[in-house]
Amino acid sequence: MEIFWLTVYVLIWPVVVAGTLFVITRAFFREWKQARAEGRSLV
Amino acid sequence: MDLQSGEYQLLAGSVVLGLLVLFYGGTFVMTLFIGKKKENADGYMTAGNKIGFGVSAASMTATWIWAASMYASATSGYTYGISGPIHYGLWGALMILFIYPFGRRIRAVAPKAHTLAEVMYARHGRSSQLMLAGSNILGSVISLTSNFIAGGALIALLSPFSFRQGIIAVAAGILLYTLWSGFRASVLTDFAQVVAMLGAVVIIIPVVFFAAGGPGLFESGASNLTVQQANFFSSEAFLNQGAPYIAAVLAYAIGNQTIAQRLFAVREDLIKPTFITATIGYGATVIGFGMLGVIALYAGITPMDGDTNNLIPQLAVTYLGPVLLCVFFIMILGSLSSTADSDLAALSSIAMTDLYGQTVGKKNVKPKTMLLVGRITMILATAAGLFFASGQMNILDLLVFVGALWGALVFPVIASFYWKKVTNKAFTISTLAALALFVPVRFEWISMSGFTGYAVDVLGIVGVGVVLGLMTFGFFGLKVARIVGVVAIAVAAPFAMGALHEYAVLSGSLVAYSVSTIICYAMSVRSKQNFDFSTIKDHVGDFDPIETIKRDTDPVANRK
Repeated sequence: MEIFWLTVYVLIWPVVVAGTLFVITRAFFREWKQARAEGRSLV
Repeated sequence: MDLQSGEYQLLAGSVVLGLLVLFYGGTFVMTLFIGKKKENADGYMTAGNKIGFGVSAASMTATWIWAASMYASATSGYTYGISGPIHYGLWGALMILFIYPFGRRIRAVAPKAHTLAEVMYARHGRSSQLMLAGSNILGSVISLTSNFIAGGALIALLSPFSFRQGIIAVAAGILLYTLWSGFRASVLTDFAQVVAMLGAVVIIIPVVFFAAGGPGLFESGASNLTVQQANFFSSEAFLNQGAPYIAAVLAYAIGNQTIAQRLFAVREDLIKPTFITATIGYGATVIGFGMLGVIALYAGITPMDGDTNNLIPQLAVTYLGPVLLCVFFIMILGSLSSTADSDLAALSSIAMTDLYGQTVGKKNVKPKTMLLVGRITMILATAAGLFFASGQMNILDLLVFVGALWGALVFPVIASFYWKKVTNKAFTISTLAALALFVPVRFEWISMSGFTGYAVDVLGIVGVGVVLGLMTFGFFGLKVARIVGVVAIAVAAPFAMGALHEYAVLSGSLVAYSVSTIICYAMSVRSKQNFDFSTIKDHVGDFDPIETIKRDTDPVANRK
């Protein structure tokens, strides 16, 4: 049981990172699309 | 493959050159899409104060994650065992979260500011501004140097090129894409860098874990851990790693211009989601990298040359194939470049605003000259970073010193944004006094026996109350903060009295907090100053006449 939880403890972080990356990437491309539609620079 | 004798997998020189050209060439091309052939001074520093969530969250995450944080988290995992990465990454992540409520307040009183020091000038005057700007400059140059060293060491370790060639390649690459568009280039390229970094984390950590033995490693390598290392609630890990880091949480967030700059750049209504996302992204990435240290500990790997900073590269060359080794190379390059370009942008903003802008006066500023000052600063800062990096100076002691300087500034800075009574004199004297007491405590220049030890303990215990009180104040206000501060002092006192001074790093930081708080409070409480915060916004921001004209002729803006 301890080995299972230690494995979860090590592997949970890449999962959280993947979720964060998804959120950031989705928002970035939405903003990029909107900026293009409005004819302005993203930054 | 024998790591100890140096016989391990290398990347061919042509591959490393190709990766450097791909990475820095790609980021440079990305900056060409910014589309500002004629850059303006305000845009160069804060990108017009209206950056969206995706860009700002990516930028905040990328900036906060630097090569040193990955290496240090792995070191913490290797040294303190399974709780080590938490005691590094979690508190570092909370650093971003705890600054958020203060960030909102700062943005509310100075919506168009470029640097925190600039706001301090409007609030207090020159001495407070220069203390904050000076500590920011020192911190950014140290960070820049550290990132150049990390890049040089990585290239020297993984390729046939030398350390010196490595730092020159990294410095030139970063300057290439940052020089023209400044902060705009920094935040835009941060997105690509964060994708590279976070994407690599998602792949590399599981690959290394399973290559090292997977779940079976926890059984076969259990004997490599001490009782403390195997304990998730290790007191050793907390007292030596976690507690000093908690004390530094607010200091680094308040004192770091790279964070302040992003705070001023993001659209005001997006500050909250940006900070929360960056907290999660930073925490998971850095703790995840700390797991590599834990894996190394279980696997019985000894750091090359006894240097725990070699652990991550060692694991990479041991367990990753050629393709993933290239991914690893790009990841580390991304982490150090994103922080280094932010440091360059931060340094140029300080030079433009606090040195040039405030010296000649807001009305006399020439935006073209201001831009020139910013770009020259970037070149000089890169040269300084290269100079310090080529000597491979021990910058960690300097970093600790700057951390303490920021610790001494935390209460005076925060109080200056909320309390009308804080004066310039109180700000300056309290900071200098805190610093004067921090140095002998941190570097153990004085004997801690007898009365001195108890005096340091008392100040340190008050420091615990100050730190926790300030953290609470940001979210829940003064009443709750006072209660938390007093309770923290009461709880800590029985354990800390007679023992705290034995932990020099921790007690040094806590003394810096408490002394600056006590003196700043004592000097301000009877002051007759009744500062009007609404005047700050009139003294900061908008150096470009074009933007002013636009606003004056904008009927919507005028209605507001």
